[in-house]
Amino acid sequence: MSKKARTAGDKGAKTPLAAKIFLGVVALYLLIPFATTFVYSLFVEWTDVLPSGFTLRNYTELFTNATFWLSIGRTLILCLVSVIITIALLLLAMYVVVAVNRKLGRFMQFACMIPYALQGVILSIGIISLYTGTGTLLSNRMVMLFGAYTILVLPYIYQGIRNALNAIDAEMLIQAAEMLGCGRFRAYVQVVLPNIISGILVSSLLAESIVFGDFVLANNIAGTNYQNIQVFLQANMDRSSGLSSAIVVIIFLVVGAVTATVLKLQSGTQKSQKE
Amino acid sequence: MSYIEFHDVVKRFGDNTVLDHINFGIEKGDLVTLLGPSGCGKSTLLRCLSGLEQVSEGSIILDGTDITNVPASKRNIGMVFQQYSLFPNMTVEQNIAFGLKMQKAPADVIEKKVRDAIAMVELSGKEQAYPANLSGGQQQRAALARSIVTEPSVLLLDEPLSAIDAKLRKALQARIREIQQELGLTTIFVTHDQDEAMVMSDVIQLFHAGRIEQAGSPVEVYTKPVSEFAASFIGSYNQMSREEFRTMTGEVVPAGNIVAIRPETIGIFGELPEVDGEGFVLKGTVEGSIPRGNVLRYTVRIGQTRLRVDALFRSFHMFDIGDEVFLFIPEHDCLRIPAVA
Repeated sequence: MSKKARTAGDKGAKTPLAAKIFLGVVALYLLIPFATTFVYSLFVEWTDVLPSGFTLRNYTELFTNATFWLSIGRTLILCLVSVIITIALLLLAMYVVVAVNRKLGRFMQFACMIPYALQGVILSIGIISLYTGTGTLLSNRMVMLFGAYTILVLPYIYQGIRNALNAIDAEMLIQAAEMLGCGRFRAYVQVVLPNIISGILVSSLLAESIVFGDFVLANNIAGTNYQNIQVFLQANMDRSSGLSSAIVVIIFLVVGAVTATVLKLQSGTQKSQKE
Repeated sequence: MSYIEFHDVVKRFGDNTVLDHINFGIEKGDLVTLLGPSGCGKSTLLRCLSGLEQVSEGSIILDGTDITNVPASKRNIGMVFQQYSLFPNMTVEQNIAFGLKMQKAPADVIEKKVRDAIAMVELSGKEQAYPANLSGGQQQRAALARSIVTEPSVLLLDEPLSAIDAKLRKALQARIREIQQELGLTTIFVTHDQDEAMVMSDVIQLFHAGRIEQAGSPVEVYTKPVSEFAASFIGSYNQMSREEFRTMTGEVVPAGNIVAIRPETIGIFGELPEVDGEGFVLKGTVEGSIPRGNVLRYTVRIGQTRLRVDALFRSFHMFDIGDEVFLFIPEHDCLRIPAVA
């Protein structure tokens, strides 16, 4: 194992006590909303000074509800598909910027920043009014929804890929590979991409949290036809506050699990480069 | 016919002409240095030869073949970049093997050649290290090995040592020269450091504003600068106008010329010296002295003219500021150079 990798692995051992305490307090503070929501989701009734008892009823109800699982599954699919499509399109576009014409970079940046300026309501209404009734594939609500998410996550993934490309000086690496007899596109795939995977993964995390948090696009474009987790949450808000709290806890845990998986993948790619 | 020939090469970026009708040849096995200040076009010419830039006009011939429009990846030219440009996700061994894999060499050949190249650049033991875990010098040696292992017809070095500390740079200069001579590899070296050019080159092409100002062996370029720019860029010549020189020495210089004198050709004495050969003995006052390694550089004022004078740094023989000294300038070291119009 290299010296650098060892240092990275042991960094926890040298953290001063004060720093640990400080980090612990901050972590606790950040966990308060989650913890209270979780505790609240376990109460039977809370109309008096103290709750009348604890129960896992909200969770058993959710876990046996097929609609709930479907909405979680749909959200994950929306997330995965839109992120993968955006990454694939951006990687191709950025190849052109890095290896063919650098001047297009400014245009790319402008184009990818536009979605920041678009409110969800405007984006969804715009898409619906533009494509509904055109009689093409694009008039399909599902296609619209996936397309809208692809646009929604574009700026985040663009920033991640662009920063990763700048950090490794992709243009120079392609030139170095070219001088060794490698074609430009092959150099992009074999040399550049393995070095930016980590950056792409981090930006896809941001995108994931955006998709998981979206209610407006899913509700306006697909509504109950393709109910995502936020639409499901909205539909159940009036039924019971305990149930809503349980849904929020599960959303948190699912996002946490996806984040942990991606971070593990990321540390895996970094580790294989350092060792 | 030379091994590499540049015919009327012009390169423009928009309205800016970076290379202005470059014509010269490079002989097989030579190490040629393109020397010049930043922005003079030397790196651009190297990139045109590599294929990473396209020329605007003219042609480039390599070993009898016109390669002007051949893509970089098909030219079989090796290149070492200033920023090393090693592939961060690959080990030293994988980096060096990359070019051979592109050539689809058999695995056993790749293994042997990579091993030999690693030994040649003295990186044995670092085969499995990633670039991030190597020092600057080690990275540059790995980059050098990666470029020579494919046995290119030409090796291009684009300021490869400029980011490396002085001591290591000297060692690497020597190692690169040794390897180049051992392999008989035609090499073009770009630098803005005249000392580096002196140490390494068979031929120096001195660049200025997109043109070749002077070409020749290091000794020729150093001792016989052909222009004011060459004299100012190489050897820190004392330069003076013909009027200044006449006032100082009484000697008449042909119109349209300046006089250039290298600091180390001037003798400095505490008493009127007895001198051999033709030259000028002048009386002056020491105005300053700066130690520069093994030489002391004095500034001596004669009338209104200040001359830089280099003397060996010997502590028992030093002049102080304000001392009166005598200078001896040999006649044949007073070079007459065409003045810039």
